[in-house]
Amino acid sequence: MGLAARVLEEAGLSTVVLTPTYEFHRAVGIPRSAAIEHPYGRPIGVVGDREGQRKVLLKTLEVLEKAQKPGDVWHLPFTWPEEPKGTDWQPPEMSPLIKFYLEDIKKARQAEAEKRVKK
Amino acid sequence: MRQQGKKVDGLRFLPPSLKAWVRTFIPDEEFKGPIPWTPLRKPLNQTIISLVTSAGISLKTDIPFDMEREKREPVWGDRSYRTILRGTTEKDIDVNHLHINTHYIRQDINVILPLGRFEEFEREKIIGRLAPTSYSFYGFQWKNSDFLEQSIKPISERMKREGVEAVLLTPA
Repeated sequence: MGLAARVLEEAGLSTVVLTPTYEFHRAVGIPRSAAIEHPYGRPIGVVGDREGQRKVLLKTLEVLEKAQKPGDVWHLPFTWPEEPKGTDWQPPEMSPLIKFYLEDIKKARQAEAEKRVKK
Repeated sequence: MRQQGKKVDGLRFLPPSLKAWVRTFIPDEEFKGPIPWTPLRKPLNQTIISLVTSAGISLKTDIPFDMEREKREPVWGDRSYRTILRGTTEKDIDVNHLHINTHYIRQDINVILPLGRFEEFEREKIIGRLAPTSYSFYGFQWKNSDFLEQSIKPISERMKREGVEAVLLTPA
């Protein structure tokens, strides 16, 4: 999505990305990011929560209006009402990519655990 | 409003293994290259805004995003896009995405493509206008940038024709 924002900015459009993983900015260079700590698939808020959705969007529009320089990341002050495990954001079936890279994923976790032990 | 003390943890919702894997794709350092930039030229209440999501939303009358090929080719993602006209609600859409639970978007499109909320903002004169057309593409584009040419460029051209000045993007 960061790459898409870059293309739109190049075309003369001002953009803001409401992103659940703002850290990808470091890989891509996103023009304006509004970082939100919400589960994947529901960056704007809870189903049917009109007021909550409006609050998130108004803050996001503030980022569009007030960000001063390319690469600005604004952290939005919202907290999801459920713990991560309770959010049920993952697809009912493991995605083809995750199945394909399952060994790499396990190795990444192991490598992190080993790094922690060394520390 | 700048930070209000909160520092977002963008990996909070990932299970531990996925978190470790995703970290391998994120550099420790800040992005150093050039970043394109178009300043907002008018106050928000005069600005025409369009919405783009990567959630794989199509209209029930559209050909849906291709999930079958992705199941056969796990690193391939559909590169096409769909136009979503203002006034579209969850009743009008199909959602196809193999990396998230699409159930919530089917219940309330505003959780990721906030057409209803932006029509309210237009009525309340918080924004100038919501553009006639918003867009969805399919966010799973693994190490591939063909979708920029095939989808985002034509989207930007249609936006310009419709007088759009600013865009909210919502990744899935």
